[in-house]
Amino acid sequence: MKSQTYRVSCYVENKPGVLARIVGLVSGRGYNIQTLEVGPTEDGSVSRMKMEIPGSEPAIEQIVLQLRNQVNVMEASFRKAGR
Amino acid sequence: MAKKETRSGAEAVVESLEAAGVEAVFGYPGGAVLDIFDFLTGAKFPFVLGRHEQGCIHMADGYARATGKPGTCIVTSGPGATNIVTGLATANIDGIPLVAITGQVSLPLIGTDAFQEADTTGLTRSVSKHNFLVHSADEIPETIAEAYYIATHGKPGPVVIDIPKNCQQAMTSAQYPERVSLRAYHPESWATAPEIARLAKLVNEAERPVIYAGGGVIASEAAKEVAALAHRADIPVATTLMGLGAFDENDPLSLRMAGMHGTPAANMAINEADLVIALGVRFSDRVTGRLSKYAPAAKIVHIDCDRASIGKNVRAALGITADVKDALTAVASRIKAAKRPEWTARVRGRLEEKPASWKRSRPGVIMPQEAIEAIGRAAKGRAIVATDVGQHQMWAAQFLRHAKPRRFLTSGGMGTMGFGIPAAIGAAVARPDLKPVAIVGDGGAQMTFEEVVVAVERSLPVAFFVINNGCLGMVRQWQELFYRKNYSGSILTPGGRAANEKIDAECVKNGRYLPDFVQLAKAHGAAAWRVTDPAKLDAAVARAIRSKKTTLVEIVVDPGANVYPMIPAGRTVADTVYGN
Repeated sequence: MKSQTYRVSCYVENKPGVLARIVGLVSGRGYNIQTLEVGPTEDGSVSRMKMEIPGSEPAIEQIVLQLRNQVNVMEASFRKAGR
Repeated sequence: MAKKETRSGAEAVVESLEAAGVEAVFGYPGGAVLDIFDFLTGAKFPFVLGRHEQGCIHMADGYARATGKPGTCIVTSGPGATNIVTGLATANIDGIPLVAITGQVSLPLIGTDAFQEADTTGLTRSVSKHNFLVHSADEIPETIAEAYYIATHGKPGPVVIDIPKNCQQAMTSAQYPERVSLRAYHPESWATAPEIARLAKLVNEAERPVIYAGGGVIASEAAKEVAALAHRADIPVATTLMGLGAFDENDPLSLRMAGMHGTPAANMAINEADLVIALGVRFSDRVTGRLSKYAPAAKIVHIDCDRASIGKNVRAALGITADVKDALTAVASRIKAAKRPEWTARVRGRLEEKPASWKRSRPGVIMPQEAIEAIGRAAKGRAIVATDVGQHQMWAAQFLRHAKPRRFLTSGGMGTMGFGIPAAIGAAVARPDLKPVAIVGDGGAQMTFEEVVVAVERSLPVAFFVINNGCLGMVRQWQELFYRKNYSGSILTPGGRAANEKIDAECVKNGRYLPDFVQLAKAHGAAAWRVTDPAKLDAAVARAIRSKKTTLVEIVVDPGANVYPMIPAGRTVADTVYGN
């Protein structure tokens, strides 16, 4: 499976432990987060996370599906990086 | 429920558990949960004291598997919390609803390496469905309500609530909420009308369909709907290990268990099918073998409540994210009645043609397969059976006739040794109307044996069967088949160990199995006996099944027996090994 870098973004509840949960979900599967950006949205109770992760498309898709299963994740999506 | 204006967080914990409908709590005390334990003595639910936190969480798990209701476990901080990690992982991978409350050091002490401090939310994050660290007493009732909601909605799983000691001691007037509404968690999903139409079309057009039912059928209480579909459209049914009991194995359409140690009938049916209807499964590697050769002629329909499991391992022609029961109910009226005598006769015929090959017992040597059959004969369908992990687990899967859901409790995904004894105790608490039975190996029995005391002191009529082959049988089997018979670390008897595994010469000279499980059980207060003679096997087993007391039967079996048939890991149905 071809490896590329993907940009994964998600909207999460701005609560303690959420960042660790998401980073752990990615790293626990053996993937390396190359860049990570987190900040509150206009609605301060919601944060937006952007990650760049190299991997195969099925693996990244599985990560996004698992992210959506998380209790504190409102939305998660991915696309190829660099565009 | 008592609605006191203000009370301590600890009292609010117990009050909230009552409000959540908790009917039994398993646990073990310690410094950081003393405040909660102070209120357990007045609780409306019984409290079951385990002897090790791992035992407590497996008991709660056994309770949940037996009933479908969430199990509850309370343990202390630090080592109490670390000791439940195995049990959380066991429940998490099998989708079992649990709520585990852990004590934590007071908030101001967190991060100071305080006595019995551990980062419980960090430790349990990847082995639980969700976890909470409570920050004030006011959060307690709502957090407990949310935990039970999360544990039981969507794919079930374990939820941890870490409650610092000062939050237990602080006063609060917060009340248990009437309803739970989570901002970001909405796991409910239904099949769409086009999906149902497509599902009906695929089933109606199939010539060689197979239903492949897993633990999700049991979790969604869909056994009746699966049977209705199978009977209406004349579709043979295979199950996973976790799906045993989802379809009656006495039914002529049953192909029994599929997978590495499944029946050739089930595996060959999937291999030849033109449609695999996969219900509440996740296509574990223990079932599929080599993925590229799995069900090569079939379109796969995959119905599961967990969107992430659809397409994870196998590509589905139709994936439906829905509760299995809801989806089958929705499609039922569109399924055409069908008869496919040639197909069903062909696949069913193999149950007789190619049974698992094994030698019968010979004088003085009981074969483990016969021990399992004897337990099945004596239980007469009135037992709830928990197993440990390894050869005896596979034999219990193969040689018992599984007829009903929630009667066979086994650690499927995690393969957790030490599960069987406490899970049977949890089941005994949950279902006093059934005969609780544990089938365990001599290896796993030594991991959680201390819990036998719990059955004795509560007069639970658990029959513990220790299938003793003096070795870690499944490890030994793999070493025999794949590691040049180099039995490294797998022999539990004093003889037969490698040179650098040398043990005391006296012990080798005595040469007997240690521990003496009969004496060990008696020391724990259980009635116990040993059977080594095949002629006495049935009587020895039946006596335990009939008994109203806690009993243990050590069944000494052939140490060289292997589990067959077997599809070696990563191979295909064509590589099935039938015996040696």
